[in-house]
Amino acid sequence: MNKALRSPITYFLFLLPALVLFIAFFIYPVIVAIYYSFTNWNGFANYKFIGFDNYIRVMSKADFWASVKNNGFFILFSCFVQVPLIIFFSLLISNVKRLRGLYKTAVFMPSVMSTAVIGILWGFIYDPDVGLLNKILGKLGIDPIMWLSDEKWAMISILITNAWQWTGFYIVMVLAAILSIPKELDEAAMIDGATGIQRALKITVPLIMPIVSVVIMLSIAGAMKAADIIIVMTKGGPAGSTDVMTTYMMKHSIASFKYGYGYSISVLIFIFTLLITLAYQFLIARRAERIEY
Amino acid sequence: MVKLLKKSVNHIFLLGYLVVILFPFLFVLFSSVKTDNGAISSNPFGIPTEFAWDNYVKAWVNANIGGYFWNSLWISTVATIATLIIGSLASFAITRMRYNKLSFITFQFILLGLLIPGNALLLPIYGILKQLDWLNTPMALLLPYTASAIPFTVIILAAFMRSIPSEIEEAAVIDGLKAPGIFARVVMPLSVPALVTVFIVNFMSNWNEFLLANYFLSDDTWRTLPVGMVGFRDAYNTNYAQMSAGIVYSVVPVMVIYAFLQEKIIEGLTAGGVKG
Repeated sequence: MNKALRSPITYFLFLLPALVLFIAFFIYPVIVAIYYSFTNWNGFANYKFIGFDNYIRVMSKADFWASVKNNGFFILFSCFVQVPLIIFFSLLISNVKRLRGLYKTAVFMPSVMSTAVIGILWGFIYDPDVGLLNKILGKLGIDPIMWLSDEKWAMISILITNAWQWTGFYIVMVLAAILSIPKELDEAAMIDGATGIQRALKITVPLIMPIVSVVIMLSIAGAMKAADIIIVMTKGGPAGSTDVMTTYMMKHSIASFKYGYGYSISVLIFIFTLLITLAYQFLIARRAERIEY
Repeated sequence: MVKLLKKSVNHIFLLGYLVVILFPFLFVLFSSVKTDNGAISSNPFGIPTEFAWDNYVKAWVNANIGGYFWNSLWISTVATIATLIIGSLASFAITRMRYNKLSFITFQFILLGLLIPGNALLLPIYGILKQLDWLNTPMALLLPYTASAIPFTVIILAAFMRSIPSEIEEAAVIDGLKAPGIFARVVMPLSVPALVTVFIVNFMSNWNEFLLANYFLSDDTWRTLPVGMVGFRDAYNTNYAQMSAGIVYSVVPVMVIYAFLQEKIIEGLTAGGVKG
């Protein structure tokens, strides 16, 4: 019986393509990045080892830390602005019967579109002269704002666009969790005389904490990945004020062929992402206990 | 009465959200048939008085939508199918063939891929492709796209294939099928639902991908739609009417597909989010 499914050659051949590609595009690049990050490699054959020089150089640059801070803004904005909105709107949608399908479809829609096109679209909305936003503000008597070319506003403009694209995605995830909570819990509380708001805060929200925790994890991963939206909307400007680690890395390596230097930033992105993920897992997610109905 | 009021408060907030999502699209749609920036600026919210349909003709030519669309289509399709074939072969070996220890180790090894942030790989892969002289060729996207979807694909397909009862393949063995036959004629047909989900998720992420396409192809010949659109925006950023027509071209196909496959897309993407 087991003979047909115990054929070493078949087994090997079936796994081979996946393993080759996986090693070539996941494992090998990591090794390459670590190795060359200790060299002054600039794309040519000869290079020499320079120890931690690249790392010291990167970490002594104020504009690098400014880009790290912008990644931090992405994380803070999603945890403290997006997550409350996600919970609020998914509670609202779960509470209505009519139009629920429409709301779900509409809020999810931006997340199926390419970030590039959304960046272009919002660039138009933010345009100081013809853009939608300044036209609306103008009606309210507020002076035009240079959304993307003013250092004060550029980062928040990008964060809003990013939230506009992804909030609906998470709402649909949390909504699914809310709808899977057994009705009896809510009904029992209703019989005990709990109001709608009490039921939402005391019953539904605690029960969806595990999925909210997943949403936060995904937002953190997304915050560390954000780069395309910045390239499309501001290219890191004005004056580097919207650079994140990834755009900073590309800006300071490809054009000037400083690969060794760039690779050290790659390794730092890797380390920072891992540290934040682990810190969240151990410090916060662990406390959100698993809930059995 | 109070109950009715409460319900409508919910709807007021939700309709507000709906407006925030949909109005930008409406704004672009209206702008796309206005004559120029002046017409947009003087009447930003309303339906245009004169319809300038030739924006669509000009945008199609100037933005080379046809060319970029075709590049995106074939590159995304080829990479997605390649991932599907490679991923299902591996998933079959891991879940159905009798090498449990080795399979467990292989599976854990591939899971490592989820820990590695994609942006940390961007520059090293650029360097590798440069040394191979593959930058500016379709290979520069096909291989990374195919490879980067492997961990997610193997996780979803392996979970699905594991749930197929072993009686079915025992029957196939009695009928004289060998492992490749069981894979192609028994397990694959049964896995169609999972294959469809994985296809949609991978295709959409390839179709929308921007970072690699932006850095790995500087040549216009192979540019994909997202990068091509940004290039068009940079060249014509003074002509918002034409640019809006370009946005409409790139948004409408996605919306049509979304309208038809909504349930499957939402299910797949959220599963991808949770697992990936």
